[in-house]
Amino acid sequence: MSLSSALGIINSAFVTNAAQSAVISSNISNAGTTGYAREIANLSTITSGGVEVTSIGREANAALLEQVNSSTSQAAYQKALSNGLTTLANTVSDSSSATSTSGATANGNSPSAMLANLQSALETYDASPTSTSAAQGVVTAAGDLAQSLNTGAAAVQNVRDTADSDMASAVNTVNSLLTQFTSVNNTIVAGEATGADVSSAEDTRDSILTQLSQQIGISTSTNPNGSTSIYTDSGVTLFQGTPRTVSFTATAALPDGAVGNEVTVEGVPITGSSTFAVQSGALAGLANLRDVVAPKYGAQLDQIAGGLISAFAESDQTGANPPAATLPGLFTFPGATSVPAVTATKGLASEIEVNANVDPSQGGNVNLLRDGGIANPSVATYTYNKTGAASYTGRIAELISATTSTQTFSATAGLGTSDSLSDYANSSVSWLQSQNQAASNQLDYQNSVLSQSTTALSNATGVNLDTEMTNMLTIENSYTTTAKLLTTVNTMFSSLLNAV
Amino acid sequence: MASIVSTYSLGTAMLSSMAQAQNQLTQLTAESSSGQYADLGLQLGDQSGYELSLRNQTNLLQSLTTANSLTVSSLKTSQSAIDAMRTGAQTALTALTAVTAGATGAASSLQSAGTNALQSLISSANVTSNGQYVFSGDNTAVAPMANYFSSTTSAAKSAIDAAFVSAFGYAPTSASASNITASQMQTFLSGPFANLFSGASWTTDWSSASSTDVTTQIAPGETATTSTNLNQPGFQQLAEGYAMLAEFGGSSLSSDTQQTVITAATSLITQGVSSLTATEATLGSAQTQVTQATTSMSNQLTILQTQIGNLDNVNTSAVAVQLNSLSTQLETAYQLTAQLQKMSLAQYLPV
Repeated sequence: MSLSSALGIINSAFVTNAAQSAVISSNISNAGTTGYAREIANLSTITSGGVEVTSIGREANAALLEQVNSSTSQAAYQKALSNGLTTLANTVSDSSSATSTSGATANGNSPSAMLANLQSALETYDASPTSTSAAQGVVTAAGDLAQSLNTGAAAVQNVRDTADSDMASAVNTVNSLLTQFTSVNNTIVAGEATGADVSSAEDTRDSILTQLSQQIGISTSTNPNGSTSIYTDSGVTLFQGTPRTVSFTATAALPDGAVGNEVTVEGVPITGSSTFAVQSGALAGLANLRDVVAPKYGAQLDQIAGGLISAFAESDQTGANPPAATLPGLFTFPGATSVPAVTATKGLASEIEVNANVDPSQGGNVNLLRDGGIANPSVATYTYNKTGAASYTGRIAELISATTSTQTFSATAGLGTSDSLSDYANSSVSWLQSQNQAASNQLDYQNSVLSQSTTALSNATGVNLDTEMTNMLTIENSYTTTAKLLTTVNTMFSSLLNAV
Repeated sequence: MASIVSTYSLGTAMLSSMAQAQNQLTQLTAESSSGQYADLGLQLGDQSGYELSLRNQTNLLQSLTTANSLTVSSLKTSQSAIDAMRTGAQTALTALTAVTAGATGAASSLQSAGTNALQSLISSANVTSNGQYVFSGDNTAVAPMANYFSSTTSAAKSAIDAAFVSAFGYAPTSASASNITASQMQTFLSGPFANLFSGASWTTDWSSASSTDVTTQIAPGETATTSTNLNQPGFQQLAEGYAMLAEFGGSSLSSDTQQTVITAATSLITQGVSSLTATEATLGSAQTQVTQATTSMSNQLTILQTQIGNLDNVNTSAVAVQLNSLSTQLETAYQLTAQLQKMSLAQYLPV
C-alpha cells in the first residue's frame, strides 16, 4: 500500500459522492412526480480498496404496480358506465327545476310521473266531461308523456353514440400508447444488454402501462431480456416484441337497438359477447353501456310506448262482424296502420306522438277524447258516445282503467311480462336508478381502492424527502471526511518532500 | 422498522381527504336546506319506482279530491232544486185543499195554482251547476225540461189540447165542457191524458234529458252515479198534476167533474212528492259516498306523505351534527397541512 494508492481511493470516494449526490438530486426533484420510482446508487468495493457505483437501482414493485393498474381499469370501467347512467337518470329527474314546497322529486320527469299526470288529468276530465279545458288538460298531459318518452329515447341514442365515439378515441389512445411503449421497451432491452441506466425509461414504461390500463384491462409479463409483454385481461396479446393493431370502426348513427361494431385485436374481437371480451377498462365499460345497458333502457321505453298505444287504442263499436281493425287512438306514431304487437315496439319511444285528430293545436277535435273516434273521425265505427251526450263518461272511465289494468310486455326488456302500464313504468325507473346507484357505488369503491393502491405503491417506491436529506447529510459528512483525508495525505507528502 | 411514507403520498393523502370533505360539505349543505337527500335517485336506487308510485298516487288522490268537490257541488244543486220543487208542490197542495169544488172563483184559483206550480217546476228542473244542467242525465249540455209556456205553443200543450179534443170533440176552454161527467173526465185523465206523461210522449214533448245518469269516478276504482234525470216518475207526476190544473182547472166544469180533477191532481202531486223524496235520498246517499271517499282519500294522502317523507327526507338534526363535525375535520386538515409543510428536515438544516 502506498500514499498514492490512498490518493486513488480518495479519488474514487469523490467520484462516488458525486454520483450519489446526482441520484439524490434526481430523487428530490422527482418527489412530486407520479409513478417515479426512487433510485438507489448501488456501491461496491473495488480491488484497490476504493468504492465505485456499480449500478443505479430502481425501487420498483411489480406487484403493487399491477394492483394499481388493475384498480385503474376497474375504476375506468365503472366511470364509463356511471357517466352514461347518470346521463340517462338526468332525463327522468326534475331536481334542478323543482321549486314546489314538496321539494325535489328524483323522477318527476320520468314517463311514469308523466303517466300519473295523464291519469290525474283523465280523472279531472271524468268529473267534468263537458269541460274543453279539462279535455285540453288531458291532451297536454298526453303530449308531455310522449315528449318524455321521446326525450328518453333520444338520451339513450345519445349515450350510445357518445359511447361509440368514445370507444373510437379509446382505441386510438391504445394504439398510440402501444407505439410509445414499443420505443421505450426497445430502449430498455438495449440498455439491459449494454448495462446502461434505464431507470427513467422504466418509469416511462410503467406510466404508459397505467395509462393503457385506463383504456383497457391488461396483464403483463417480463421476459429475461427486460422486454415486457402486454396482454388484455382476457388473454389477447397486445404487445410482444412488436405492438398488435387494435381496430375499431365507429358507427355514425347507431341503429336503434342494434349492437355496434366490435373492437378487434388482429381480428380477434375483444368486446361484446366474444369469449375474449375484456372485463375492465374504459373500453369494456363503454361497450357494455353501448350494447347492453342503454339498449335495455331503450327497450323498456319502447315497451312503455307500445303499451300506451295499445292501452289507448280504439276498437270497433258498431258490433259489426267481423269488426273493423283496432286502431291507435290518443297515442299514435307516424304512419300507423295498426296497433303494434308487444314484440314489435322497436323505436316507438322516439316516434310516439299525440294523435293530431284530438289535438286542437293541430286542428283536431278535443271532444273525441270523450266520444271516441280519434282513430278515424270521419266514420262512426270508433264512436263510443253514440247518443252524443255531453256528460258521457264511459270512454273516459275505460281510458282510466286502461292504464292500470294488466298488459303483456316483452321479456327482452327485462322487466317482467305481465304488469299494469303504470307499474311497468315505475319498474323501469327503479331499474334505471338501481343501475345508476350500483355503478356509482362501484365507482366510489374502485376509486378508493385505486387511491389506496396508489398510496401503497407510492410509499413502496416513492421518494421521502427526509430520507433523501438524511442521505445527503451522510454524503456531505463523507465528503468532508474524504477532503480531510486528502489534506492529511497531502501534508504527509509535503513532510516527506521537505524531509528529502 | 416502520415502512417509509413517500412525500408524495403524504401530500396527496391530505388533499384527497380535503376534497372528499368539501364534496360532502356541499352535499350536506344542500340536504340541510332542502331537508331531502341531495341526490334522490342515487339515494333511492331500486326504491325509486316505489317512491314514484307513492308520489303518483298522491297526485291522483289530489286530483280526485278536487274533482269530488265539483261533484258535491252539483249534487247539492240538484238537491236544493228538488227541495224547491217539493216546496212548490206543498204550496200547490195547500191551494188545492183551500178550494171547494163548484165554489165561485174555484176555477181561476185552480188554474193559477197549476200554472204557477208548473212554471216553478220548469225553472227548478232547468238549474245548472258549473254550466251543466243537473237534471239532464248525461246529456248535460241541453236544458232538460221544455218550456210549456213558450210563446209559440209548446209541443206538450198542443198534445194535451189534441188529446182533449179527440176525447170530447171540443177544446177545454169551450163552454160545452160543463157537459163532461165526472166519470168521463176520470176516464180521460187516467187514459189518454196520463199517457202523455210517460214513455215516448214524455221524452218527446217534455224532456230532453237522457235516462242515463252521469257516473263519476270518485276514488281509485270506485264510481258513483252522481246525477238524476227528468225522466224519473216524480217529475212526471208533478208535471201531470200541474198541467191538469193549468189546462182543465179553468174550464167551465161541473162541480163533480171539477172535484174529480182536484182529487186526481192532489193524488198525483202527493205521489210526486214522495217519488221526489226517494230521488233526493238517492242523491243524498251519492253525496255521502263522495264525501266518505274524499275523507278516506285525505287519510290515505296523509299516510302517503309520511311514506314519501320516510324515503326522501334526511334527519335534519343528524345532518346538522355531521355538518359540524365535517367543518371541524376540514379545519383540522388545513391545520395539519400547514404543520406537515413545516415538518421537513430542510427546515432544520443549516443553510
